Amino acid sequence: MATAKKKKGLGSMLLARGSMDVPFFLLLVTIVTIGLIMLFSASYTYSYYHRGGDSTNIFRKQLMFVLLGLAGMYVISRIRYEYFRLFAIIGVVVSLGLLGLVLVLPEYKQGFHRWIDLGFTTFQPSEIAKIGLILILAYLLEKDYKKVTGKIPSDLGVFKKISEITNGKIVIYKSFLTVIGYGILIIVFSGLVYLENHVSGTILMLGLGIMMLFLGEVKNKWFILAGGMIVIVALLLVTNPSILEKYAGERIVAWLDKDYKPTEAGGRWQINNSLYAIGSGGLLGTGLGQSKQKHLYVSEPQNDFIFSIVCEELGFVGAAVIIIIFALLVYRGINIGMRAKDRFGALLAMGISFQIGIQVALNIAVVSDFIPNTGISLPFFSAGGTSVFILLCEMGMLLSVSRSARKKE
Amino acid sequence: MNKRPTKRMSLRSHIAFAGFCVFLLLLIGNLFWIQIIHGEEYRLKAERNQLSDTVINAHRGTIYDSNMKVIAQSASAWLVYINPSKITTDEQKTLLIDCFTEMFGLDRETVEKKVDRKESGYEKIIGQIDNAQKEKLSEFISGHKDQKLSTIVGIDPDTKRYYPLGSFASTVVGFTGSEDTGRAGLELKYNTELTGQAGRIITAKNALAGAMPNDYETTFDARQGYSLVLTVNEVIQYYLEQQLAQAIEETDAKYAYGIVMDVKTGAILGMSTKPDYDLNSPYTISSNKVLEELEKIEDETEKSSVKQEAQFAQWRNRTVSDSYEPGSVFKVFVAAAALEEGVMTPQTQYTCTGQIQVANYFQHCFHNTAHGTQTVAQALPNSCNTFFITMGQRMGKETFFKYFEAFGFTEKTGIDLPSEAAPVAGRTYYDVDHLGIAELSSASFGQTFQATPIQMITAVASIGNGGKLMTPYIVAKVLDENGNIVSETKPIVRRQVISEKTASLVAGYMEEVVISGTAKNAYVAGYHISGKTGTSEKLTVKGQDIASFAGFAPSNDPRIAVLIAVDEPQGVTTGGAVAAPIAGRIFENILAYLNVDPQYSDEEMASTTVTAPNLIGEDSSTVKSKASGFTVKVVGGGETVISQMPSANQPMPKGGIIVVYTEENAARQTATVPKLIGLTMSEANRAAVNAGFNIKISGTTQSGGEVHSYNQSIQEGTPAEQGTIITVYFKSDVNVSD
Repeated sequence: MATAKKKKGLGSMLLARGSMDVPFFLLLVTIVTIGLIMLFSASYTYSYYHRGGDSTNIFRKQLMFVLLGLAGMYVISRIRYEYFRLFAIIGVVVSLGLLGLVLVLPEYKQGFHRWIDLGFTTFQPSEIAKIGLILILAYLLEKDYKKVTGKIPSDLGVFKKISEITNGKIVIYKSFLTVIGYGILIIVFSGLVYLENHVSGTILMLGLGIMMLFLGEVKNKWFILAGGMIVIVALLLVTNPSILEKYAGERIVAWLDKDYKPTEAGGRWQINNSLYAIGSGGLLGTGLGQSKQKHLYVSEPQNDFIFSIVCEELGFVGAAVIIIIFALLVYRGINIGMRAKDRFGALLAMGISFQIGIQVALNIAVVSDFIPNTGISLPFFSAGGTSVFILLCEMGMLLSVSRSARKKE
Repeated sequence: MNKRPTKRMSLRSHIAFAGFCVFLLLLIGNLFWIQIIHGEEYRLKAERNQLSDTVINAHRGTIYDSNMKVIAQSASAWLVYINPSKITTDEQKTLLIDCFTEMFGLDRETVEKKVDRKESGYEKIIGQIDNAQKEKLSEFISGHKDQKLSTIVGIDPDTKRYYPLGSFASTVVGFTGSEDTGRAGLELKYNTELTGQAGRIITAKNALAGAMPNDYETTFDARQGYSLVLTVNEVIQYYLEQQLAQAIEETDAKYAYGIVMDVKTGAILGMSTKPDYDLNSPYTISSNKVLEELEKIEDETEKSSVKQEAQFAQWRNRTVSDSYEPGSVFKVFVAAAALEEGVMTPQTQYTCTGQIQVANYFQHCFHNTAHGTQTVAQALPNSCNTFFITMGQRMGKETFFKYFEAFGFTEKTGIDLPSEAAPVAGRTYYDVDHLGIAELSSASFGQTFQATPIQMITAVASIGNGGKLMTPYIVAKVLDENGNIVSETKPIVRRQVISEKTASLVAGYMEEVVISGTAKNAYVAGYHISGKTGTSEKLTVKGQDIASFAGFAPSNDPRIAVLIAVDEPQGVTTGGAVAAPIAGRIFENILAYLNVDPQYSDEEMASTTVTAPNLIGEDSSTVKSKASGFTVKVVGGGETVISQMPSANQPMPKGGIIVVYTEENAARQTATVPKLIGLTMSEANRAAVNAGFNIKISGTTQSGGEVHSYNQSIQEGTPAEQGTIITVYFKSDVNVSD
C-alpha cells in the first residue's frame, strides 16, 4: 500500500492498486478455456444446421465475446471497486428500465419477451438485472447495516402512533421495515423477469436476493419465514402445475412423470435425450468431440444442455472435475469477499460468486433431471455472447475487490 | 471507513457455501447414478435413437415352368398408411375417408375405424397398390396442401406378386399373403428359398434423420430370393387343365384332378385340380356353382364360414392332399405281385362265374358278369374281380402287404409339395396284422384302403419304369438371382419293386386294357398306351363315385404317365366311360407335343387316308375353315378358288396339304421333292408335308416290327408341283428272312 500512495492524481484515485487474486484468476481461465473447447465440440453440428452450413459460426462468435469479455474484465479489475457504488442506483434504474422495455418490445422468440435484439447480437436484460440486484443490495446492506442488524424502533409517525396506542406492545423496528423494503425490491426484479415468461430467471433472481440478504446479516427469522414460504410454494406448484403458465406447468408434469408423452412436441424429449447423452458417457466418456447425442438429439446442445454433452464426451470423471473446479471458483470468490476491506466489497464478491454457483447448480440439476426443466445457462460454457461478456465483467469486479483485499483472512 | 466483513457474515457465507457443496454432491451422486449405474441402459436407448436401421427387402424369387416361362413374379408396389395421431381437424378426417374409399374402393366403416384410432401412430390402409394409384394419391395429397395431409399419410415401398398365367397350375403354385409370404402350394413349401434374406443398413443418423457420412455404417447385404424352375411344362399343363375343365363340364362332377408324370424320373409335368382359382385373386370364389349356393345363404356368419370353406376347398391340391379308394386300377399291382412271386404265370387260368364266396358272403364282378375262363391277359382288360380276389388270396396277406408297401401305399411319396396326405395304418389302410380274408379279398381289387392320386401315379409309373419306384418331384432347379444353379433335383429311385420282366409283362396287359378292355376309350390311333380304369364308391358321400384312369405311354418305351380322377361325376360314373376318354385325349396331345412318332397299324393307316374335298368355287377367305383337317395354302388374291392340288376326290393323307389357286394365270407353286427313303412312316410324312407334298403309303405297314421306306414315286431332288401326292413304299426289316 505504501508504494501506491507515492503516486497521486486521477490515476491513483481511479485505479486499483495491488495484485489480483491469482488462484481465482487461474481457476477462471481454466473454466473459460474448458468452456470454450466444450462449446466448440457441442455446437458445431447445431451450427452447421442452423447457421447455413457454418460449423464454427457459434464458436467464433463466442470466442470473440470471450476475448472482449476478458479485456473488459481486466479493465474493470483495474478500477477501484469503491466506484461501483456509484453504479448501484444507476444499476437499478437501468435494470428495471430494460426489464420493462423488453416486455413492450416485440417478441424475439414466439411467446417469450426475454431478448432485446441489437442487430449484431441479442441480449437478455435479466443478465444485467442480476448484477444490478447484487450491486444495489450490496450497497444497501452496507449502508443499512445498523438498521438491519440493530433493534431500533422506527421513527416514522405512523409507527410511533401504533406503538403509543398499543402501549408499546407493538413496536415496529427499522430492521423490519428495511427488510420489507429489500423484499419489495427483490420481488420487483423477479416479478419483471417472471413477466418475461422466464421461470428460471425468476428463481435465480429470488435466490440471489435471498442469498444477499442472508450474507448481509438479515435476522434469522426472516429466512425461516422465506424457507417456509419456498417449501409451500414449491409443494403447491408440484401438486398443481396448472397454476403456472402452460409451458412451465408442463415441465413440472414432465419431471414428475418420467413416461410423460404429451401429444405436442416437447414433453420429455429434450430431457430424455439429455439423459441418454449423460448416460452414454459412462465413467470416462466417449472422448472429446465424440458425442453422438449432440447431433441434434439434445436440443440446443450448445446452450442450456451443453453439460449433457460434457458428460457424454468427458464421462463422469470429467463432469465431476468440472463441478469441483466450479466449486473451487465459488469458494475462492467467497474467500476474496471475506478478505475484502469493507462490507460492500465483501457482499459484491460473495454475491457474484454465489450467482455463478447457483446458476451452475441449477443448470446441472436441470440437465440431469434432478429438478424440473427450466431454461438456465451454464456460466462460461453455454453459448451467448452478451451473457459471457457480462459474466466476465462481473469477474472483473470480483478481481477488483481482490486487488485491495487482505492477503489472509 | 466502512467496516470490514463481520464474523457473522463469514459464518453465514460458510454455511451457504456448505449448502451449495451439499447440493453439488447430490448432483455428482445423481450423475454417478445416471452414468455409472444406469449408463449402459441410457447408452442403448441413445443408440436406438442414433442408429437408423433400414431393412432392405429381398426380392422374392420367380417361379418358372420347365421352359422358363414365368408363372409367378414379384414386382414393386406401394403400401399406404396413416398416422391417426396427427389428425387434428374433422376436415382432414372426412377428406381422408372419402379419398381412401373412393380411390381404393375400401369399406367406409373399416377406414373410419382406422382414422379414429387417435392414440395410434400407424394404421395400414392398403398394400400392394400399383404406381398409377400411388401417383393418384400423391396428387391428392399435394392437391390439399392447406390440410397438411402429407404429415398424416405415408407411402412405403411394397411388393406385389403377379401370376401372369392366372389360374394356371394354381393348386400347385399357391399364392402369397400380405406379408409376401407363401400361403399355399410351392409358394409355401419353398417360401424360405423364394423369400431370400432381408438385408440391413445400420447407419448413425442425426435427429433430422439425415444419415451421417462416417464409419459407423454397417451393411448386411440382402440375399435375393431364389427362383424355382419347375418340371411342370406349360403346354402339358395346359392340355391337362383343358381336359379336366371339359370333364367337369361334361360330367357335372364336383372335382376333376389329374397328374402327368415323367415315367423315367418321377418329374411332374402337369398337375391340376379343377375347379381351381385365379392366383391373382385367391380369395374370390371361382366356381359359379359355389357362388350360387353362397348367394342363397341369408345368415351372414354362416355365409362367411361357408365362403371360407369354399376358399380352402379351391386352394386344395387334391392330387396330394386327398385320398380315395383306387378301385380296379389297383389290380395292376396285384397282377404284378402275383407274377413276380410266381403265384401265377401268364398262362395261369381261372374261371370266373361272376361271383366268389369270401368267408360268409359273396363278392361280385361288375354287373355280375361271368367272364369265363381267363388268363391274366384277359382278366385285366375285363377287370375281373373274382380273378384278382383269387390271386390275392393265393399270395396271402404277407406277400400282398409286402407289395402294398413296396409300391409305396404305406408312406408319403415325398413330393416337394405341402400337405401331402400321410397314410395311417388302421385308418387309411389295414396293416398286415389286421388284414383278414375279407379285407385281403377286397383290397385285391382296390377297396378297403385309400391312396392319394400322387401315390397311385407314382406306383403305376413304376410299372412303366421297369419296376423302379421313383420319388416324384416338381422343382427341377433352384436358381439364384443371376440365374446360377443353386441346386438341381436328381431323380431318386426309391426301390426296385418288381423285375423289369414282370413290369413289361404287366405293361403289355395294360396295353390290352386300352386296346380292348375297360379303358378302350383311352385308345389313340398310332400310339401304344397302357392303362387301367377304376371306379370306386366314395366313402364320405353316399351314392357318389370316383372314376379314374391311370396309365402310361408309349407301352414299349414308356415316357409319360397320366392319372385322371373325376370326383362325383353325374350320370355314367365308370372310369372307363368318364376318365379314360379324357386320358386318351391328353395322351394324344402330349405325345404329339413330345414328338413321339405315331406308329400306325394297317387298319389305322387306312383310316387315315381320306379323299380330298372339292374346294373349287369356295370363297377364298373362308376356304381354310371349309377344309378343316387339312393344311390349306392359298395362292393369289382372287375371291374364289379356281383350281386345287390335289384335285377333288383324290385319296390323300389326313391332315395333308392342299394348294388352292384363286387367280386364272397364277404360276403353279413348285418345290423340290425331298428325300423320303429310309424313314419311318411319320418321319416320311413330316418331311413331305414340310416341303409341301403329300404322301401315299404303300407296302408293308405292319406295326409290330421296324418299318422303313425304301422307295418313292418321284425321285429326290426333282421339282414338282406342291400338293402332289408322292407314293412312298415301306417294308419291314424284322422277321422277313424265313
